[in-house]
Amino acid sequence: MRLLRRVFLPLVPPAIAVAVSIGLLALGLALAKYPALSLLREWFVAAVGDRFNIEVAIKNSCPLLLTGLAAGVAFRAGVLNIGAEGQSILGAIAAAAVATRLLPGLHPSGAAISTALAAAVVAGALFAGIAAGLELLRGVPVVLSTILLNFVALQLLGVLLEGPLKTHLTQAVQSDPMPGAFWLPLIGGSLVVHAGVLIAAAAAVLAWGMQSRTTLGFELLVTGLNPAAARYAGIPTASRQGLVLLFSGGFAGLSGAIQTLGVGGHVLTPTPESYGYTGIAVALLGRLHPVGIAAAALFFALLDQGAATLETSATPLPHETADILKGLITLALLTSASLLANRRVIASQTAMEGTTKAGSAAEGRAV
Amino acid sequence: MDATFIFHEALLSATPLLLAGTGELVAERAGVIDIGIEGLMIVGAIAAYSAAVLTGSVIWAVPAAAVAGMALAALFAVVTVFARADQIVAGAALNLLAFGVSTTAWRMLQGALPTHPAPAMYEEAPVPLLAHVPFFGAVLFQQYGLFYATVVLTGVVDVLLRFTRLGLVVRALGDAPEAADAMGIRVRTGRLLAVLFAGACAGAAGAYLSTMRNHSFQLNMTAGQGFLVLALVIFARWSLPGLAAAAVLFGALEALQSALASLPGATVAIPHGLFDMLPYAATLAALTLLSRAGAGPLELGKPWPAQR
Repeated sequence: MRLLRRVFLPLVPPAIAVAVSIGLLALGLALAKYPALSLLREWFVAAVGDRFNIEVAIKNSCPLLLTGLAAGVAFRAGVLNIGAEGQSILGAIAAAAVATRLLPGLHPSGAAISTALAAAVVAGALFAGIAAGLELLRGVPVVLSTILLNFVALQLLGVLLEGPLKTHLTQAVQSDPMPGAFWLPLIGGSLVVHAGVLIAAAAAVLAWGMQSRTTLGFELLVTGLNPAAARYAGIPTASRQGLVLLFSGGFAGLSGAIQTLGVGGHVLTPTPESYGYTGIAVALLGRLHPVGIAAAALFFALLDQGAATLETSATPLPHETADILKGLITLALLTSASLLANRRVIASQTAMEGTTKAGSAAEGRAV
Repeated sequence: MDATFIFHEALLSATPLLLAGTGELVAERAGVIDIGIEGLMIVGAIAAYSAAVLTGSVIWAVPAAAVAGMALAALFAVVTVFARADQIVAGAALNLLAFGVSTTAWRMLQGALPTHPAPAMYEEAPVPLLAHVPFFGAVLFQQYGLFYATVVLTGVVDVLLRFTRLGLVVRALGDAPEAADAMGIRVRTGRLLAVLFAGACAGAAGAYLSTMRNHSFQLNMTAGQGFLVLALVIFARWSLPGLAAAAVLFGALEALQSALASLPGATVAIPHGLFDMLPYAATLAALTLLSRAGAGPLELGKPWPAQR
């Protein structure tokens, strides 16, 4: 019974949200005179009925899982890091800088990849550290500084790709291709799935361990749930929140590096495919729990991959329809989770009132 | 480059920031922070352009954009004001949804463009007589129609906020919703209306970008301006004259940046990206210098009632 409540109860809001959102999208399509049901069926079949699509989705879910973790660990501690986008760009820059400029001859592959990844983690964390520092020292809200830093990061990438990181091989504004030793190796006999899966999974385990098995994780949780209570309990909330922002930036940096070292041409371009903003939605859909976030990342990647077939269906639909569905799911989830949480708060308050009454009665007797 | 050109450009860039900012400022004064402004603007931009293309006339562009902005804002209000979900996170989700909607709509519209060629977009509308005043005429009175509307709107809203009962009510919604409730004001309805107003403003600002400033729609054409609006509102410490000044200052920075970058030899010495970074870095620097001093609406971002 306890297992049932711990595992299934948290799944209720996401399930409701997904069902409601698919219903809304189908309604919208039907109103626009599209054959909604057959399109949805096609979408579903393409997403999960094709081995290659599933493998691509697994590959694409890696960066999404990492930006989801970035948002997840921060949100749980009450830190609204909207900057995973910029932090992952910094990670990509660091990985590319190590691979093409600083240590291009690094061997063997294991050393090369781990150096690039470590640089990316540090770069992402330091970039998030700017926001943490501004909050601690000057009281600049993290929400705003991280948003603004996203744009700074994007422009910085452009500057570097036209300057120190620019390739001499072509006229295109992009980096040199990463040396082969830095490529993430393909695993499991797949043509697309690379070792990034293992890295992302390890990151999820690390996040889970930190959150649920360490004192720091507990302090962060308390800080997120009730900062005032946390301060009374002697937790230095400000520095803990700064610390979690560094963690968060590290995860995001890793995400950018995995894209740079693992995808396609192995070059960095001025408009990298980044998953910073989508990571927020992934974190919410996964209820801020690493396992949930992993599942949500895979779900979103499958949605994207399946949506590609909609472009060539009898009634073609842009693949960006997937973004509409993702946005709807997130909003519906917020609504259902918030409504259900409100009910739980009432329940726990009633329980709390009971205990305080009992407590004061006990005190009364002691006097 | 001459001063007239730079100041004219500055106001061209400032208009959408001030228009969307006026709406956001009212919503924030009423206690709701909407970081989905970026998304509302891009949806306004595509709605305006689609309306112009599909009806064959640009006069429906701004109303369509305002309605589209309000529709999405209504969704945001349901989630945050009535279901009490976190406003920041809901705003981020709204952006995701809005970009999906705008991209999908744009791809569908491209299918219609061959049969429905885009009509003429808005041109700058010089004010008779005043447009010929030296310097000021060229800067202030040879702007697009929405510029004049924005100036009037901002002035009216400022007077309403400061000197009328309506303004007092809006501020009470953000500062002391309990007190407003005790006075018999419907807090959630009030916040809904403020959010809808912000949606209409942001949508119209998007229409300005597509049907006035750029004369067509491009994906991601808002390019972060909606996020910038959020920073400017805080930078201005929730005051409309301050917001107007901040928007113009920012517009001037942009105009200066493009003027500097077009100087011969400038981009060789200094990469273009550094100029593009300037507005964001400057906003961040301003926040860093000012942040402690400014106090926003007391209940900003908090759902009401606090417990249910």
